Amino acid sequence: MTSSTELIEGPGPAVSPKPLPPSPSRRRKGNPPRPRAPFRPYHLFFYLLLGAVALSSISAYAWVFNVSMKTDTEFISTPPWQVAESWRWENYADAWDRANIGLFFGNSVVVSVASTVIGVLLAVFAAYPLARIPFRFSGLILGLFLLGLMIPWMVTFAPLYLIMQDLGLLDSRLGLILVYATYNLPFNVFVLVGFMKTLPYELEEAAAMDGAGPARTFVSVILPLMGPGLASVAIISFLQNWNEFFYALLLIHSPERMPLPLGLFQLGQAADYGTNWSTLFAGMMITVTPVLLGFALLQKQITKGLTAGALKG
Amino acid sequence: MHKAAQRRIIVPFLLPALALLGVFFLYPLVKTVDLSLHEFSRTGATTFAGIEQYRLLAGDPDFFNSLKNTFLLTLIGSGMLFPPAVAIAWALSQRIHGERFFRFVVFAPVVLSVAVVSLMWKFLYHPTLGLINPALESMGLGALAKTWLGDPATALAAVTFVSVWHGIGIWVVLLCAGFERLPTDVLQAARIDGAGEWRVFRSIMLPMLRDLMRMLAILWAVQSLQTFAFVYILTGGGPFGSTDTVGTLMYRVAFDRADFGYAAAIGVALVVVMLSVAWLLNKVMKRDDLQY
Repeated sequence: MTSSTELIEGPGPAVSPKPLPPSPSRRRKGNPPRPRAPFRPYHLFFYLLLGAVALSSISAYAWVFNVSMKTDTEFISTPPWQVAESWRWENYADAWDRANIGLFFGNSVVVSVASTVIGVLLAVFAAYPLARIPFRFSGLILGLFLLGLMIPWMVTFAPLYLIMQDLGLLDSRLGLILVYATYNLPFNVFVLVGFMKTLPYELEEAAAMDGAGPARTFVSVILPLMGPGLASVAIISFLQNWNEFFYALLLIHSPERMPLPLGLFQLGQAADYGTNWSTLFAGMMITVTPVLLGFALLQKQITKGLTAGALKG
Repeated sequence: MHKAAQRRIIVPFLLPALALLGVFFLYPLVKTVDLSLHEFSRTGATTFAGIEQYRLLAGDPDFFNSLKNTFLLTLIGSGMLFPPAVAIAWALSQRIHGERFFRFVVFAPVVLSVAVVSLMWKFLYHPTLGLINPALESMGLGALAKTWLGDPATALAAVTFVSVWHGIGIWVVLLCAGFERLPTDVLQAARIDGAGEWRVFRSIMLPMLRDLMRMLAILWAVQSLQTFAFVYILTGGGPFGSTDTVGTLMYRVAFDRADFGYAAAIGVALVVVMLSVAWLLNKVMKRDDLQY
């Protein structure tokens, strides 16, 4: 029970993956489940290949970090890979305050957390009757949700814009939150319905026997068992909402309401003409680093979830 | 008895989610088709136009240019994506050292925002301030240095590369799952028969992965036909429309020309194109099931 309420209140990278099933034996040193293959000559090819991939990614990251430590004149006048003259952490302070990265960061946190909570909550409620109560239109309704997995959302942007205009939700964080939550629903419902179907049906019968109503059964019997499913759905939703660009671009116009990706894009446009590259790069580091840290902590769940998410195309 | 009680919660449980889905997805979806049948004037008035928009679309050189670029992007991208993805997945399925680290590095770009990745690459590609040209020059390959995003000959490929770099982790993970499902006894039998590792890969693993590859090719096509953010941020469709995709054209039509009806028609056309490509790929790549 505690684990699932925790997840509903605080999704995102901070959530501890306690109820998730990464087998602990994998982590334990000296006792890997499958032994490493002994080295063979053709493995050299693999190491070279993977090494090249790793090197390119890491050098890109290191380069961004390096530039974020330079001054603007240094950026133009020195060769790109020359190490910055000094640790200019004030670039980060500059980016946070004067380039509004702090503001964008706050918007991103508010929008991603709120939309993830709404998207997961509504999905878990909707998934319950779809998964466990047979009724006449359940197939049709599930189909409507799954339609959202099949049709590219981008296609509906023109009417969506007009609707948001009519509802007065244009250029508002609330509008963005509702759109993101809706955007998350199909995948969440799909995953949670699948998860709920694996629970034994005797649960409801036993609860009913003990005199619990259906709502009570859902809250105190089913929900506590949903920990792992809710966690993976929440992590993936959060990540998607944190990174989303298109709808933010479509719906948000004033800088003080922009989430990070859109805010950075805006700064990037400005950097084409102005000279605030170092703050832009510091902003990039601020955006990227928490995500990478969260990914390092939750690598397994995120990999699995995003891969399943890609299948929705 | 509890079944009857259960029925009472169906509507309240479903309603909130369905309301959101209806307002922000299903209604816009229906409205897209409806809009595509209307003409917008600059004053905001709409008139019913029937299939007029679609007739315009069929004769619009901008649309065909963007369609051509989108297909090119899909095609070039599949060439850039699948050979390395298969090779990396093959490598990762070999239980080599540092597997966890390599998995992290390969998948890490996937969790980053498209906007940030595009922005980073925009600078990496920069002819003088970036990393790529100076690196080429220092390796003595200065002749290869280009204004990557500013030259119509390379811009589309450069944009495609960024989108592949960002997404390759997903394909690697899906392919890894495929490699892990290969029947070990068949592979062992081949090795005992004296087949080298390359031979095992080419003659046994690849044919057995065929069905998965078909699915991945369709996924890639469906995904890259929708490309928007990479292009919008990296080049904005330029230079000279050489990277304009259907997505960016649609956005521009809606907001620069304020023609929502025409944008909706492009959207409907895009869905039709996408479905036919998926259907076609499925048909063409289908082979009889392997028996073993």
